[in-house]
Amino acid sequence: MIKISDLEKVYRTEEVETVALNKLSFEVKDGEFVAVMGPSGCGKSTLLNILGLLDDPDAGSFLFNQIEVAHFNERKRADLRKHNIGFVFQSFNLIDELTVFENVELPLIYTGVKTAERKKRVEEVLDKVQIMHRRNHYPQQLSGGQQQRVAVARAVVNHPKLILADEPTGNLDSNNGNEVMQLLTELNEQGTTIVMVTHSEHDARYSHRIIRMLDGQTVTENILI
Amino acid sequence: MLNNFFKIAFRNLWKNKGFSFINIAGLAVGMASAILILLWIQNEMSHDKFYAKSDRIYTLNNRDKFNGELWAWNSTPKILAPTIKHEFPDVEEAVRYNDATFLFTVGEKHLNVAGGFSDSGFFRVFDFPFIKGNPNTALDKINSIVITEDLSKKLFGNDDALGKVIKIDSADYFTVTGVLKSLPNNTIFGFEYLLPWSYMKKIGWDDEYWGNNSVRSYVLLKPNVKQADFDRKIKNVTIDHTKNGEDPSTTQVFTQLFRDRWLYSKSVNGQYVGGRIETVKLFFIIAAFILLIACINFMNLSTARSEKRAKEVGIRKVAGAYKSSLVSQFIGESILLAFLAFLLAIIIVEISLPGFNHLVDKKLYIDFGNPSFWLFAIGFVVFTGVLAGSYPAFYLSSFKPVSVLKGTFKASHALVTPRKVLVVLQFTFAIALIICTIIVGRQINYAQARDAGYVRDKLVYTYIQGDVNRHYDLIRNDLLGSGAAVAVTKSMSPITQRWSDSWGWEWDGSTGADDKTDFVMMAADADFAKTMGIKLVEGRDIDVYKYATDSTAALLNESAVKIMRLKHPVGAVIKGQGVDWHVVGVMKDFIYESPYEKVNQLIVMGPKSWFNIIHFKLNPANSTEKNLKLAEGVFKKYNPQYPATFNFADEGYALKFQEEKRIGTLAALFAALTIFISCLGLFGLATYMAENRIKEIGVRKVLGASVASITTLLSKDFLKLVIISIVIATPVAWWAMYEWLSNYTYKIGIEWWVFIAAGLLSVAIALLTVSYQAIKAAIANPSKSLRTE
Repeated sequence: MIKISDLEKVYRTEEVETVALNKLSFEVKDGEFVAVMGPSGCGKSTLLNILGLLDDPDAGSFLFNQIEVAHFNERKRADLRKHNIGFVFQSFNLIDELTVFENVELPLIYTGVKTAERKKRVEEVLDKVQIMHRRNHYPQQLSGGQQQRVAVARAVVNHPKLILADEPTGNLDSNNGNEVMQLLTELNEQGTTIVMVTHSEHDARYSHRIIRMLDGQTVTENILI
Repeated sequence: MLNNFFKIAFRNLWKNKGFSFINIAGLAVGMASAILILLWIQNEMSHDKFYAKSDRIYTLNNRDKFNGELWAWNSTPKILAPTIKHEFPDVEEAVRYNDATFLFTVGEKHLNVAGGFSDSGFFRVFDFPFIKGNPNTALDKINSIVITEDLSKKLFGNDDALGKVIKIDSADYFTVTGVLKSLPNNTIFGFEYLLPWSYMKKIGWDDEYWGNNSVRSYVLLKPNVKQADFDRKIKNVTIDHTKNGEDPSTTQVFTQLFRDRWLYSKSVNGQYVGGRIETVKLFFIIAAFILLIACINFMNLSTARSEKRAKEVGIRKVAGAYKSSLVSQFIGESILLAFLAFLLAIIIVEISLPGFNHLVDKKLYIDFGNPSFWLFAIGFVVFTGVLAGSYPAFYLSSFKPVSVLKGTFKASHALVTPRKVLVVLQFTFAIALIICTIIVGRQINYAQARDAGYVRDKLVYTYIQGDVNRHYDLIRNDLLGSGAAVAVTKSMSPITQRWSDSWGWEWDGSTGADDKTDFVMMAADADFAKTMGIKLVEGRDIDVYKYATDSTAALLNESAVKIMRLKHPVGAVIKGQGVDWHVVGVMKDFIYESPYEKVNQLIVMGPKSWFNIIHFKLNPANSTEKNLKLAEGVFKKYNPQYPATFNFADEGYALKFQEEKRIGTLAALFAALTIFISCLGLFGLATYMAENRIKEIGVRKVLGASVASITTLLSKDFLKLVIISIVIATPVAWWAMYEWLSNYTYKIGIEWWVFIAAGLLSVAIALLTVSYQAIKAAIANPSKSLRTE
């Protein structure tokens, strides 16, 4: 699914040059559940943004389903992203002005799914994350765990092949956190590839493999299964 | 997708009611101003363009050299139009028009009505729609009259006027042969009736003199006749017809498309190059600026709030939105807002139209039944929406989801942000308008304070009508005897107006070069200087009652003496109008034309000339009401059929300032609107600034900052912008006013304090706007703001 080699990303400001990714290479196979760990500033988030086609690398190769995407323009990236990738964020990132239903519906709108079909699919996925009864509420009216379940629902409503999760339990207590991890595991069992950035060893144990990063490079890989 | 956009848009509007209000109100006020101005422009631009044959109707004009300069003017000899029609086969029709005011009598109703004379072909050229009657034949007979719907209502109520008889003056009876729809508000013509030229001939007002330029002439050319070709043919028509006479003319004739006449009437070097079109352009620029300023509010508030919308942008991008779909979403939102603002603007326009109409002296209205209005409305809303929305749309949609969603996003606080540039633009325009308002106002005051050279107070004039001329001596005696007036004089025109001028005068020592020196003409029988309160520098007033020979006496003003180079003006003989006039006195220059210009040379001729007006000075011992009542009694006694109407010279004089006052009022109005809209935006920005810096303020307070120092801190940034605006506005306004003032001979200098005053005023207004939010933020309890972090 994903094959990156010699990926580089450097952030420059007037005074400082920060190397976020330094010739990073690894591979993620279809159906894998990979956790990326490392201290703050080691380049995890940069990696995730590049994997999610939200950002482009300065050098190196990024094969997504055998297609070189490292130098796609914004529109092509958006096309690829909306059909293949779902995102789950630490801070949920739901739109406050939209209801639960409308938030989940959003990716379907951008992929051009018809209204009736949208309704069906949103309801299906809301059912799955057990938040159907809250479908007409606004994000502020939900608990953190509920909000993250909505975010997960939004990430999967388009049946993406890949889910990128950026510390999905970071803002949650352990009960809610476990629920969300359970949800991700189920999705993985149904065939979705997952790459998750996390600080929590506990969460990392849900994955098949842990990639540990330091200063923009992988240091070790632990195979859990 | 649209549904989703609208939902977000409405919920955003609703959630941020304050900002929605500022946005919509500011935009609505801007749009309303623009709509009012556009209505005015539309009216100006459509002037006299609605005739079916507009592309073939031309005015006839003269061109000649005076004092070495070519001039063009559009009053022509009465003989010109018929001659041209007769001699040039290119002409399909040629008609003349001449203003006239007559007393109309129907039964017991007496009305003084303004109208005109024209040839029977008038309605074949100008197809004003008829309600009743046949346009082709309506003016054929000498006793026929065509009246407008309005006049028909006044004279006959709801009865059918066709065939009814109207008595005109005390002499003649006319049959109504046509009823016109009332004239539209965008034509030069202002008549309420038309009489046939043949009647004008009958009462002796027609002449065939090529040197008397007194009527308007219009030609309808045959299709496919080129204007340039026709102009070449008629160029010398006046010259050719006068070359063998005793008074050969040098005046050339040329045409101007009638539909261009309204906008292009200013003659420069014998060409019509400008005129009202300049005002139209200026107003268009002002409308565009006011709209732009309102749009800038929208841009600034939208981008200022960007941090709040940034997350949404990020999420949508992550969910697969293209940049283009975000751009269209945001532009769509601003179009929606523009639509709401437009609805409000229409209400504002409807409320303010009567006042605006009064101000610009028009009858403008919104034609809701006209599909092109709705087309305009849609275009206007979309245009405004796109103008206001495009910058925020591109700004917002270019956010990188990465930084936004990680929460590391901060809007830029760069030294020069587009937002600051836009605020400077707004205030530059506002300050420039304030400066203009002050200078225009001062120029008017300056001219008003100028000594007119005569005493306007208690000076009254009335038109000589009906039997007044015949009984003039009795009227004069009664006016003086009854104590209504202390002095009476007959004259050619009201003291505040110039009706007649002429060249070709000769005097002792005049040369051929003086032939084209133009003198303004007035007339008097006696007591001219006394009635008007004009100072005599030399000699005496004309007085036919004392000196029988004074029927050919003349008064000169100082300018005339100077231009004639007369050493001993009193006793000099000047020849003109076929009479040898002997000068009996010299008057100090007085203002009869523009108070902004130098006084031109004037000759007041004795009774051998002609009279239209009676002036009299009311008795200062009586109240004005009593004087007028007495005077009315006198006129009613000798001229019972006519309503006695008196005009005050000071009102006539005030009219001279009307145009400048209008400009002054409009400048003040636009300045106020611009300031209002700009401050609305500034208030919004200040609110956001206070919100964004709440933590900083908290920390400063905890560290011991005073309320005053924080208020200063917060206001300082905005003040800087206003001060930059003053610096930019000053030369711009100076230049604009320098240009404007160059139209006037008698004018003020531009003084430096005006710019300081305008600057201080704008600083004060801006400070007032910003300080509310600044003080509010400064006095807030820091423990609260710090806890929210």
